This record gives sequence, C-alpha cells and structure tokens, in this order.
Amino acid sequence: MASRAVAARPPSGFHTFWRSTTRFARTWPYLIPALVFFVGWQLWPIVRALWISFTNFSFLLDDSPESAKFIGLRNYVDALHDPLVRTGLWHAAIFTAIFLPGMVFLPMVTAVLVDRVRNQKLATTYRLILLIPAMIPGPLIFILWVWMYSNGIGPINYVLVDVLHVFTLQNQPTWLGSTNTTFLSLALMEWWWGLGFHTMFYLAGLSTIPKELYESARVDGASEWRIFWRITFARLRPILLVLVVLRFGTAYALIDEYILTGGFDRSKPTYTWTVYMWDTAFQVGDQNRGYAASIGWIGTIGMLAVVLWLFYAFRNKD
Amino acid sequence: MATRVETEPIAATRRRPRPHRRRVPWGSIVKHGILLFCCVVILFPLFWVFLLSIKSLPDAYTNDIWPNHFDFGSYRTALTAIDTLPQNIENSIVLTLATMAITTTVAVLAGYALVHLPTPGKRIVLAILVGSLFVPSRVTGLISIWEIQDRLGLINSTWGLILPYQTLALAVSIFIMRGVFETIPKELPESARVDGASSFMILRRIMLPLVRNGVIVVLITNFIAAWGEWLLANTLTNDQEKRTLTVVMASANAGFGQWLWPTMAAMYVVAILPGLIAFVVVQRWYMRGLQEGALKG
Amino acid sequence: MDDRDVLEELIAEELAAGMTRADVLKRGAAAGAGIYGLSALLGAGTAFAGSEARALTPTFYQWIYGLYPDIPSKINKAYAKRHKLDAKIAPVQGFGIDRFVAEAKKKKSTWDVYVGMTPFVEMGALIESGTIEPWDNYIPKSVLNDLIPSIRAEATYKGHIWSYPFLLDIIIQAWNGELVKKAGLDPNKAPKTWDEFIANAKKVVSSKAAPYGAVFDAHGWRSLAPIAHTFNTNVYTAEGLFDFTSDAAVNALEVMKRMMEVAPKNILEEGKVDGGVNTTPDEEAFAGRQAAYYVKYQNAPTRFAGTWPDPKVLHIAGLPKAGKGGGTVFWNTGAALFKYGQNKRLAANYMEFLTRDVRIWQHALGKNVRGASGQLSPYKSDWAKWEKSPPSWMADWAFTVHKELATSKAIRTHKFGLTQFVIGKPAWEAYLKGDEKSAKAALAKAKALVAAEVKKSRKG
Repeated sequence: MASRAVAARPPSGFHTFWRSTTRFARTWPYLIPALVFFVGWQLWPIVRALWISFTNFSFLLDDSPESAKFIGLRNYVDALHDPLVRTGLWHAAIFTAIFLPGMVFLPMVTAVLVDRVRNQKLATTYRLILLIPAMIPGPLIFILWVWMYSNGIGPINYVLVDVLHVFTLQNQPTWLGSTNTTFLSLALMEWWWGLGFHTMFYLAGLSTIPKELYESARVDGASEWRIFWRITFARLRPILLVLVVLRFGTAYALIDEYILTGGFDRSKPTYTWTVYMWDTAFQVGDQNRGYAASIGWIGTIGMLAVVLWLFYAFRNKD
Repeated sequence: MATRVETEPIAATRRRPRPHRRRVPWGSIVKHGILLFCCVVILFPLFWVFLLSIKSLPDAYTNDIWPNHFDFGSYRTALTAIDTLPQNIENSIVLTLATMAITTTVAVLAGYALVHLPTPGKRIVLAILVGSLFVPSRVTGLISIWEIQDRLGLINSTWGLILPYQTLALAVSIFIMRGVFETIPKELPESARVDGASSFMILRRIMLPLVRNGVIVVLITNFIAAWGEWLLANTLTNDQEKRTLTVVMASANAGFGQWLWPTMAAMYVVAILPGLIAFVVVQRWYMRGLQEGALKG
Repeated sequence: MDDRDVLEELIAEELAAGMTRADVLKRGAAAGAGIYGLSALLGAGTAFAGSEARALTPTFYQWIYGLYPDIPSKINKAYAKRHKLDAKIAPVQGFGIDRFVAEAKKKKSTWDVYVGMTPFVEMGALIESGTIEPWDNYIPKSVLNDLIPSIRAEATYKGHIWSYPFLLDIIIQAWNGELVKKAGLDPNKAPKTWDEFIANAKKVVSSKAAPYGAVFDAHGWRSLAPIAHTFNTNVYTAEGLFDFTSDAAVNALEVMKRMMEVAPKNILEEGKVDGGVNTTPDEEAFAGRQAAYYVKYQNAPTRFAGTWPDPKVLHIAGLPKAGKGGGTVFWNTGAALFKYGQNKRLAANYMEFLTRDVRIWQHALGKNVRGASGQLSPYKSDWAKWEKSPPSWMADWAFTVHKELATSKAIRTHKFGLTQFVIGKPAWEAYLKGDEKSAKAALAKAKALVAAEVKKSRKG
C-alpha cells in the first residue's frame, strides 16, 4: 500500500518521498494491530471463501481446497437454480422486513418516554430494567424464548388456553412451528432482547438536544406532535440511519437464532440461506464446502445490493 | 455517516398560544403505563424461568405457572451435574476479558490514528471498515475461518478463539472510538505537539483521560459480543472442557437423564447471573459514556 | 483378559511409541514392575519428548454421559485404576463429525475412540473419509461371538466390523396406563393393529381422559421408517437408501396422518436442543401426561415416565404389526475406533470393560430407577442369563422390548442414512399438513429431493 501511495505522487523530489515515508512510519503503527485482525479474520476469510466457491471442494473427499477441482461458476449456476437457496434468500428478506421497523422504532418511542421521566431515580430504574436482556448471552435468549413459546410448558399458551380460553389445546398457536407466526415470534424475541440496548443509543442522541430548543418551541406555541417531528425526530435521524444499516446487516445474515430455534428442518422458514450454507458445509453428504461458499457469496451479494439501494434511497431524500 | 441535521426554523411552527389549563395528567399516565408495561414484559420471562427452577418435577412438566410444590434441589443438581461447568465459566470469562482488552486497545489506537494523526490512506481504511459492516463475514467466511484456525492448529483451543473473536465488534468499536475522538478539539493535540510531545505521549497523557467513557462503551459492546458468541465457539471447539458456557448451555440436553426442566432452568439462572452482576457494577459509567457522545459517530 | 495380556500389550504400545525395549524394562524395573507400575510407566511416557504414548482417550457423545452418570462417576474411575484414562465429552451436536475428519486428514487424532456412533447415522461418512478403522484386529473373539447377530450385522460394513456395539434402541409403542384406564380401555392390553391403535387413541380424546390420543417423533428415522417397517422391513433401494415410494412407506405415512388427528398441533415441530433432534414436542406431551399412546424408541417413555407422579403406570409393547414380514427399527449406538488414534488394543479392552459393566444395565433397565434410561445390552450371554433367572432389579418391560429385536431391522448404513430423512421431510410433511392430497405423490417428491442431494455428492 505504501509504495502505491508513493508512486501515485508526482516525482517532486526526494523531500516529498522522505516526508510521506516518515508519515507512514509514524502513523500506521497505530492502525496495524487493528488491520491484522481485520484482514486476517474478516477480510481474508471471505476472499478465501470466494475462491473456494469456484471449486468443488468437498470436505470428506478432498484434503484441501487446493486439491479440489476448479469448476468456474458451476456452483453459482447450480445454487441459483436451487429452490432451497431461493426460498432461503426470500425468507431472510421477509424476516428482515418484519424485524427491522420494530427494532428501529420501538426503542425510539421508549427512549423518548424515558427521556421525559423527570424523577432521576425512576428514570435510572427504567433504563436498568430495559437493559437486562442485553446482558444475557444470545443463545440463552433463544433458549428462553423457545421455552416461552412452547406448547408444552410455555407460559404464553398457558395464559391463552388455560386462563383466557382464547384457544383450545387443539387450535392453540404453535408460535415457532407454523410458517405464518415463526418470523413474527422471532422478531418479538429480538425486540425483547434489543429494546434496552437500542433505547440507550437514542437516549444518547436525545441528551445532545439542547433543552432551550424545546422551550423556545413551546413559547412559540408549537404543538407537542410538531415539536416531536421537527426537533426530536429530526435530531435522532442520524442514529436511526446508523441503526437501520447495522441491524439490516445482522438481520439478513441471521444464523444462530435459526439453528437454535428451528434446527435443520428444511420445511421451516428458518431454513434460510445461512442455515443451508452451514448445513451443506458441515453436515450433509460429502460436506460440499465449495457449494456452501457459493451460497454464502450469493447471500452476501444480495445484501450488498440492498445496502447500496438503502444508501441511494436515503441520499435522495437528503 | 453524516451527522449534520437541518432543523427547520421553529418559527415556521408558530401558532396561537394556548391558555394553560389544569387537567388530568394523561400524558404522564400513558408514559409511565407504557414504560411499566415494557418492564413487566422484560422481567416476566426471567421471573418465569426462576419459578421453573424451583418447581417440583411433576409441576415442571405441566403448564401451571405457579407450582404446587417447591423444590430448591435443582440448584444442587445443576451446579454438580456438569463436571466441566467451572471450566466452562472460566473459559467464557477469560475469553471475554481477553477480547474486551485486545479489541478495545486496538480500537483506541486505530480511532486515534484516524482522527488526530495525519494518517495516509485513512479514507480508504474507513471505507473498507464501513463496507465490512454490510458483509456477513462471520457467516460467509466461516468455512475459511475454520480453515485458518485448523492450519494454525487452533481447532478445539479455547485460547485460539481469541483471534476470530477480535473481529466480532472490531469495526463498530473503531467507529465508536472515532466518534469519541472527534469530540476532542484538534487544537488540543496540536498545542501539545508544539510542546514537543510524541504522538503516543499525547494519546496516553491527554487523550485517554478524555475518552474514558467511550472506552467503557467499547468494552461493554465487546463484552456483549464475546460473552454471547455461539457460532464460532460451537464450530471451532469440540471438547466440552474447551467450550464456553454459552455453547455448553445451548447444547445441554434438556430431557435427557438428569437434564429435566427444573435443572435446566436452574442452570439457566446460574448461567445468566455473572453477566447481570457485572453489568450492575459498571452500568453507571456505561450510561455516562453513552451520553457523552460516544455514539455520535 | 488377565493382567499378563495387558502387560504385554502395554509394552507393545510403548515400543510402538518409540521407546526402546531397554527403556521400558528400565522404567518398569524402577517402578517396581507389576501392573500398577506399568500404568505409571505409561504416564511417564506422555512426558517423553517426541513420544506419542498417552492415556487411553475415549470421547463420549454427550447424551451417553447424561443418561449414564455412572460412567464418569464410577466406571471410568474403576478403569482408571487399571490404566490411565482420559475420558472426554464430544458434544457432536446434530451428529457433526467434521472435527474428527479434519484431524484424520492430518493423520492424527486427539481421541482414541468415539463412543456414540450409530451405524446408519454417521458410520458411512466416517468410513468414507478414512477417519475410523475396523475393530477386526482388536475386538476379542469372545466378544464378537457373544454379540446378538443382527447387531453384529448392523456394525458390519463391507465385511469389517466398524462399530463396537453398546446401547441398543428399538422403536416400540408405550402408553400411559392411567390415562388409558380413564378412557375406559384396558391398560394391560396392547393395540394389535394400527386401526386399533388409532381407535384407542381417539377414545382417549373423545372421553376427555387426555387432550391427545397419541404422539410420535416427527424425525423420519424415528417414525416414518419404523412404521413402514411394521408393514414390511424390505424398504430399501439397491443403493441402500430408504425407499420412500414403497407401499410400506405410503401406508406408514397414511397411519401418521391418522395419528395427527389425535396428536398435539406442534407435533411436527423441531426439538429444542441438539440442532432440533432432541427434546421434541412428543416428549413434552408424554412427559406432561397430555398424551396416552406413544411411538418412539423405548428409552423415551422409560425416561419420561420418571416425571410422572407414579411411573409404574407406564406400559410398553411392540409396535402393531401390519403385514407379513413386518417388524420395527432398531439401532445400536456403539464406539468407533479412530484410525490415527492410539492405544487401539486398550480401546477394545476398555469397551469390553464398559459394556460388560452390569451397573449400566441396572441403570438402564432398573425396575426402581426413576426415569430409567431404557437401553438394552447387545450381548447374547446377558439375555440368556437374565431370561433364565430374571434379576430382581430388572423391569419387566426390558424383556418385552428385547423380544422385538427378533423382527426388527436396522436402517441401512449409508452416507445419507440419517440426512435422507432430513432432506425428504418437507415433502412428506406436506401430506401430513394437508397441503398435498396424495401420500404417494408426497413421498415421490421426498425421494426426488433425496436423489437430487445424493447427485450433488460426487461419489453418489
């Protein structure tokens, strides 16, 4: 990288060269530790996966990807014709569409409410309670909610069936079982988990809004609703954008949740492209990791396309 | 990530002033009503698990929320049933602490270089880091991460997990630190530099005390990421004694042998307690760090 | 095996590990000879630079420890007095074997023996990838001849024995006598046909004795295949896959559809742990005394009856027989010998020590054990002895289950032995859910899905 940057400069003498070299030597040591990890365990693995996706590397048959055969785009052609890949991508998109709005707006509302609590002790208590789920490891959250949704021991159906008699044992909802409710149930779980954590982001944003802004607006007689949109929402928008983009990234590539709540049942909506990739790479048949890598990359490309579109959409509105 | 916001002139919203009237504080009731509801929703599942952990066996297998008989014996079973449990807890703690320490250090250094130093190529580095947020590298790269760890001989090694764990929240950590460093006026390091301080001295003496709360936020972000990580730990380790608490808990066989519901629930309570206690201890700084602009990046 | 054999073996092991005979003798003499001294010698070997000798290292599929707490707490400790033992737990969730394979590629193995392999599940893949080797040269003749023939056949692949048999499971029917009695049925009488089974289950529901009449485990190898076996056990194609379009399979699916009417709504859902294969909804319903009849391997009802106020009301019988040549499914979970592991002779010795320990069977088949783990011994001699004079600790149902072995058959060993049922499941479930009207068409689709996946694999 260093030589490229140097070469890009017009040859204006030894002095410039020396200055840019020392600048590198003085500043890059601060970046290098981060870049070692970033390149080694984040960038390189996906590049390597891209390379593997052009081979027929099967873990049980081949010693290493190098000893497998290079088959060009064969895996991609097969994957794009594979109904499991298609439905997998589609289902991941549906979940994202259900999950994202709630994950972005519910905490915003909560944050605005908490921000208006005058009593400091009470406000702190609310924040603390809301943050509890964020301190529980993800898989334990999933286990907990699988229990909550269970027809056997789950308290949700107990209340619906035995207490409120809204449903009978025969027609009670199977939250994580039926295609219609699975994603909503998982989204609820995610909201429960992330509510406090995301509320904190908005609270941080709210604390930067000068109180005088509100006061002068009130003096001017603006309605509360208008104040919310013109001041609060407008000020929170950058945080909202960050959350949309970040959460989109995690939602579309969700895997832990799906495996731990839906297993590898191919009839379930939770069998998305990520689970299919993992299943193919580590469990099924010869463990065809070349094919799995191509599924991973198709998902990645799909995600990048949507993100680019998101950026485009937001840029237009600004 | 532009943070510039254009707020419309308030004058545009001007209306006839309304007379102030004394009335039922509906707003307040709704506000506290909603917040209380949220709190109940959050606390109920946890309370329910706790109840499950002290139910007698027949009660645990029926739906009733309030048990007929209490049985606290499950905690004894839970604490002794998995031989490797102390080891798993230790693994989780060591791994999490190491990840927090290393990633935070690395992120502070990088954030500093990206804001206060004339680092060449900082725009490219930033662009790549931003791009990485939209690539599910943990999933797509898993096959190759496995391969790298295998080549390094680190499959089934608890310590080996530290390497891929650095990337769990690396990009986000760098962004947070960058945001925090940006709140510090550029003149501050400039004047120190004129006085002849080296860049590292400036970081240590001047910057660190100022970004302390941001560091706490980064620490906690990494705590959450590492403490709850499952996919990598599950894929890259094998022996139960090498695994983390999270993975062992997620794979504990409910229903098999001694793994009955109350024992599982008791294990659950035991498993989530360390995180909650740790949080209660540090929450004060965390809240402050968040508010002091750590997230304005 | 007496001590002298072991001694010779250990010396052979040490020699193989690169110590000279003089070294062995010197160390042996220093340690005071005798078997305990040699154990110490074996320990010393591990500290030797460049030496690979190590304690015998078995690794257990987690559930085996869970079901048999005596193994870690008593049996392994007893064995450790004879030889150095370093037992591990390999939580191979969802039967994942890739770490075993990865090590084999590097021609090494952290473990010597894997206790938890089921032939139809992962044996095919472990053999193909060159991860395990046959027991032929290590398993004592006396053990080999004592194995129940069908179990020995199941453990054999291409003329070699690849699994050291251990825990036997057979798919049976069970019922909660209390609920059945409440429904006005005779709790001591087993349904003889599927019609009777379903009629009884319906009566349980209509009499409001329990909310559900019957439950089954939706995983194909635990329901579709065994029920198909009750019609005909010849339901395998020439290449060794389950023949989804056979008449028996179609009949089985129709039986399942009728059972669905009296089963919980969530019966087709995945389980809560182990990648969905365990803690399934049927287990919850049966344990929660919400369902009367049950189709699954015997260890499920025996364990879950342990959560009832009175476990004695559990009844077990063979599955209804529906056709000539009908039977049920059995499988034996045994041990695999790692090709690049060590202590191979010792591993066979340990496996015999483990499988012959009566405490295992007392826990599995105990009359007074709450939540007995239910699995059966693979040895002819055990059963001959027990049948001659039934031990006082033994539950009656143990003999009932054992009798079923005579007509049962294992699912064929194949690389897709287990995954075929995972891959095909969405297709046949469409029929169970009512999205597909014809059972035959649904199963044909399942067959096509499996065929497509097999085709992706280069070696078929």
